[in-house]
Amino acid sequence: MKDQAMNGWGRRVWAVFAKEIRDHTRDRRSLMLALIYPLLAPLLVAGALFLAGKTLQGDFRQQFVTIPVVGLEYAPALETFLQDNNILFAPAPATRTDMEGAVREGRLPVVMIVPESARDQENFTVELITNTGRVDNLRITLRLSTIIRAYNERIAKREARAAGLPEGYGSAVKIERTNVSRDANIAVFFYNMMPPLVIFMIFLGGVHLAIDTTVGERERGSLEPLLLAPVERWVLLLAKALAAFAFTAVTTVVNLAAFRVFMGLAVATSERLSPPPAWDVFMLAFVIAVPLMAIAVALQMSIAVITRSMKEAQIYLGLLPLVPALPGMVMVFAPMNPTDATVAVPILGQMLLINQLVTEQAMLPHHLGIATLSTTVSAALIFLLAAKWFRREKMFVLG
Amino acid sequence: MPGFSGLERQRLGDTFDVMIEMDGLHKRFDQVRALNGLSLRAGDGQVTGLIGPNGAGKTTAFRIVYGLLRPDSGTARVDGVDVAQNRMRAQSQLGVLPDVRGLYPRLTAREHIRYFGQLHGAGGAGLEADIDDLIERLGMRDFADRLAKGFSRGQELKVALGRAMVHRPKNLILDEPTNGLDVMSSRAVRDLIAEMKGQGHCILISSHIMSEVSALCDRLVIVDQGRVAAAGSPEELRARAGVDDLEDVFVRLLGEGAKKSKNAEAAQ
Repeated sequence: MKDQAMNGWGRRVWAVFAKEIRDHTRDRRSLMLALIYPLLAPLLVAGALFLAGKTLQGDFRQQFVTIPVVGLEYAPALETFLQDNNILFAPAPATRTDMEGAVREGRLPVVMIVPESARDQENFTVELITNTGRVDNLRITLRLSTIIRAYNERIAKREARAAGLPEGYGSAVKIERTNVSRDANIAVFFYNMMPPLVIFMIFLGGVHLAIDTTVGERERGSLEPLLLAPVERWVLLLAKALAAFAFTAVTTVVNLAAFRVFMGLAVATSERLSPPPAWDVFMLAFVIAVPLMAIAVALQMSIAVITRSMKEAQIYLGLLPLVPALPGMVMVFAPMNPTDATVAVPILGQMLLINQLVTEQAMLPHHLGIATLSTTVSAALIFLLAAKWFRREKMFVLG
Repeated sequence: MPGFSGLERQRLGDTFDVMIEMDGLHKRFDQVRALNGLSLRAGDGQVTGLIGPNGAGKTTAFRIVYGLLRPDSGTARVDGVDVAQNRMRAQSQLGVLPDVRGLYPRLTAREHIRYFGQLHGAGGAGLEADIDDLIERLGMRDFADRLAKGFSRGQELKVALGRAMVHRPKNLILDEPTNGLDVMSSRAVRDLIAEMKGQGHCILISSHIMSEVSALCDRLVIVDQGRVAAAGSPEELRARAGVDDLEDVFVRLLGEGAKKSKNAEAAQ
């Protein structure tokens, strides 16, 4: 008897699921969301990465850089040292206002000013007019500062030796950096942008289907005939949620694959950029994201069944992807470490784990277990709430 | 039989099997009283017509019978099954044509009928044969495999009828079945209703078109302000109102009903 009932509702879930999938594969809007939208962010990010790769082509430290200078003739020794380090010189604008304006607007990367007081002097001050708000300016300013620091150290060493002082006089503590990041470069920054964008897409992929199969059905008048069929309401909603889940999963696959392919193409021509994470990383990211898809669909369903119109649902659900994407964007700049407690927070757990995966840090298996359980249980609870709301008479009396 | 007048009981009680039954239905939406003790019965092999002004409570009464709304009090039964107690069993014995047809624009006519057959638990070759049969009976062959987007009202109605009849229900509820149809389609629907009646089905319809009601219905129930204002065969109602034209009957009996309820309120 129980088996028969299971078979009964199982068949009905399948009937509604198959109908929704057939219906929506014929719908241009649903297909656009599932197949075209997830290509956009990967194209943009990979495009930016490609341009960054072009800028960084070759070893930056070996590249010739032209710097506008004023008064370099007062410091010939510094001039020679800079030339030895591949710095070329160009005349600077005539007035100070012009110099500052040109740097502020990005027409010149930096302007170096050597005062007349430097003439025949060993100790003097050079001024660098720079704009650290621009990445290109910052890099050239840093390089110039590093060369000048090396020049100072050379003089300090020579003078210390002449005065009979010990080696290292004047710089008691030296800094030596050991960078443990595998191949720290600009590409990694772009790879870290992936998780929030993937999560954003997870919350968007099935949204049209979630709205259309619930509040949309009510608006078109097809919900009433549907509810006349001898089927439990939760069975109907579950089947619709599964259809939205299937669209979300397809969207996520397209999204992840597009990131991998486009990123791979973007770094293919550059020797300096590290390649994107391997395909198995992307596959694992998909597995980790499955509970996220479930909770995204459950949230979409619950919002869709309490709104009165498609328009109202679109407004709320348009904002929904921002909620989980925001902490993700913050994490690009201020990384948070996964702990037993943080991975237990629904949605956040998956975000932390995917971040960990993309940045190639070791993941603790029990973290994956906690995050999966916590988000899946939350998704189930939210779905039950949606199913309860779906039974309300207001579902059909209004609208 | 609570909720029925002595006359009703005498007229209906033993002459046919009651298949759709509403008994003292009350339903309120916030400040609006939609049903106010509505009781009626529809039997096998009969067409029962529900008529009344807009907002009289016809659609609410139907929605309670087919399990979409729960009454505040009173019961609705289909083949003796209390709808509130066993919604799904009652629904499996009902075929419903709602006022809003509500088709899926991206499904074909055939897919609509198949979908609802599957929702009723049917499947396989048996279901496909039933679908072919319905397509033939309802004259849908020309558009059976076309997407519903752009269907005429007549075509929409046929799909909705096919959808309502795919599980071979014993009882049919048809809400405004010929609303917006051209002459030919209206006639086809009337013929179908007559055929179903001949096969012994219990048919409950609501309509605004008096000529249609007069031609089709064995029994009429005039509903006003959520309760029955008058009930009987068209001939009985004509005799009671003392006029020949059914439209005049309707106006006169409604007027009487309104007066009665005013008096009752005044007496309270």
